[in-house]
Amino acid sequence: MAKVWAIAFNTFKEAVRNRILYILLIFAIVLLLFSGLARELTISAHEKIIRSLGLGCINIFGLLIAVFVGIGLVYNELDKKTIYTIISKPIDRWQFILGKYFGLLLTIYVNILIMTLFFYFSLYWQTFMGSDALAKVYAAYPPGQAPGALHQMGYCGWSVLRSLGLTLKTLCFFPDQVTADLQIVVVMTCLELAIITAFAVLYSSFSTPTLSAILTVFTFVVGRGNEDIIRYTWYLERKGLTSTAAIVKYHGAQFVAHLAPNLKIFYSDTCNAALSNPPVIVDYYAIAYAAIYSALILSLAVLIFRRRNFK
Amino acid sequence: MAAVVETFGLTKIYTLDFLDVEHGRLKLRLGRKRRQRVALQDLSISVEQGEIFGLLGPNGAGKTTTLKILMGIIFPTRGSARILGRPLGDKWAKARLGFLPENPYFYDYLTGREFLKYYGQLYGIPRRERERKAEALLERVGLRDATHLPLKGYSKGMLQRIGLAQALLNNPEIVILDEPQSGLDPLGRKEIRDLILQLREEGKTVFFSSHILSDAELVCDRVAILYAGELRNIGRLTELLSARIKEYEIVARGVPAAILEQWRPRADRLLVEKDNAMIIVRQENEAREILSRLNEVGATLVSFNPRRETLEEYFIAQVRGGTNG
Repeated sequence: MAKVWAIAFNTFKEAVRNRILYILLIFAIVLLLFSGLARELTISAHEKIIRSLGLGCINIFGLLIAVFVGIGLVYNELDKKTIYTIISKPIDRWQFILGKYFGLLLTIYVNILIMTLFFYFSLYWQTFMGSDALAKVYAAYPPGQAPGALHQMGYCGWSVLRSLGLTLKTLCFFPDQVTADLQIVVVMTCLELAIITAFAVLYSSFSTPTLSAILTVFTFVVGRGNEDIIRYTWYLERKGLTSTAAIVKYHGAQFVAHLAPNLKIFYSDTCNAALSNPPVIVDYYAIAYAAIYSALILSLAVLIFRRRNFK
Repeated sequence: MAAVVETFGLTKIYTLDFLDVEHGRLKLRLGRKRRQRVALQDLSISVEQGEIFGLLGPNGAGKTTTLKILMGIIFPTRGSARILGRPLGDKWAKARLGFLPENPYFYDYLTGREFLKYYGQLYGIPRRERERKAEALLERVGLRDATHLPLKGYSKGMLQRIGLAQALLNNPEIVILDEPQSGLDPLGRKEIRDLILQLREEGKTVFFSSHILSDAELVCDRVAILYAGELRNIGRLTELLSARIKEYEIVARGVPAAILEQWRPRADRLLVEKDNAMIIVRQENEAREILSRLNEVGATLVSFNPRRETLEEYFIAQVRGGTNG
């Protein structure tokens, strides 16, 4: 496994030195920090808006990193012919694929950790700077009098420090009521992305970056809508499979639904947490599903890669 | 001596796409035969332990294809090969091999030191030894001052040198180099030549491909000549190249014009540049006579060079389908 980790860390290093990663990360952080502005768009349920926006942001940017960094993962090695010197070393081809997968997963997880950190910070910061909290500050002053600029700045700085402290405490696995459930949701996002990353590696092992990107996003969309496809087959069944077109549609939908991953199992907790619908529980079935599905997809990638000639 | 690399009827046939763009024109290939391109045909050679073996041939001869098959980068369509007695792809054999591909591209975001350490990990070399070897090799290939530079800042010559360093990381028994001198300046080519000779002195087997024949002639013990995917000839340079002297080249200063006119019919070629004359004759007695008369006619001998057949001349004769005389 030492050789797999060597390839994984090199893949991580490559991704970390890739400009596109920083562009995505900065964009995500800006969006997370300014999620507070979204509260101005609603009359109530401010917190839900911020939570939805934050979790969605982590999910989508995680996917974008998997797509943009993952698609060129194997292709670039072939295109730049760096694969020649790797394959000539005493390693197996499966070690290379596994190393690439873990390297990309490490990149995504480190980025999710950073985004989660900013998300939590944003949540705490909104708590201290929200109207209820500010009303308490103002209440300390006589009517008609507002705190001075120095006091405002001091309160602001104090809020930043407290938010940072609470964020770090939460990240050290001591969640409080603000971030309760969110930790599980982030783990579910990580599991979902483990499957998507396996697909990105699979597509990258035999096709061009553009095609890989299209196929990866397509898999994500189909995976998320898997349960809807199954519902569609029920609808077709209820209507009656009388015509050839209906039979083709039914079996086609069944085939896609069974082949594509069911990503809804990772997503339902996200919805619950975003809407503060307790309880969010650790879904062990989802963990097993992600592990087995990723292993199967990676095995397929290895099978394809083992037979490839690198011209 | 034992054979360390053996190939038995190695053949590689590429299957081309149905539809392709060639020279800006859309090309449709219908039929199985039209879609096939033979890159290598029934190659059977063996490389002995401790020798410098050159795989020579023009572009597209199948040299790189052969080396790629040996390194497990592509698979043969037919035939087999053994490296250190093991079949292709064997990890034990790979651990005793060093390989430098043609025009090497490496991870340009890594520094020279990071790159060697990473490749050391792939060989499974322990950390301390890896670091020691990386430093020693950077010193050996003359990149001591560029260890902290990312590879994207390296020149072509520097990339070739770091490529050689990675090929030597595991102290290999066999070093396989694909066109190691391609694209290098004369100084760089000489450095590679010296390194190849040095590797032989260390007891390593060097198997390299090249189309720079003058360089190959200086270092190779044995050569194989490939042309259009087929083996044209294989053997020791001393056996392949004619031992007899092909012609005698005499350069003299101050030979009177009238004398030169007398010698012109006897000479194979006669060139006059200002006061210097170059006379090339095929027969030894002709050369002796000209040399003996130089004093008489008041001329000075500048140089006398008996010329044997070069590898380049032999190679051209081979690829044109001729035989060596």
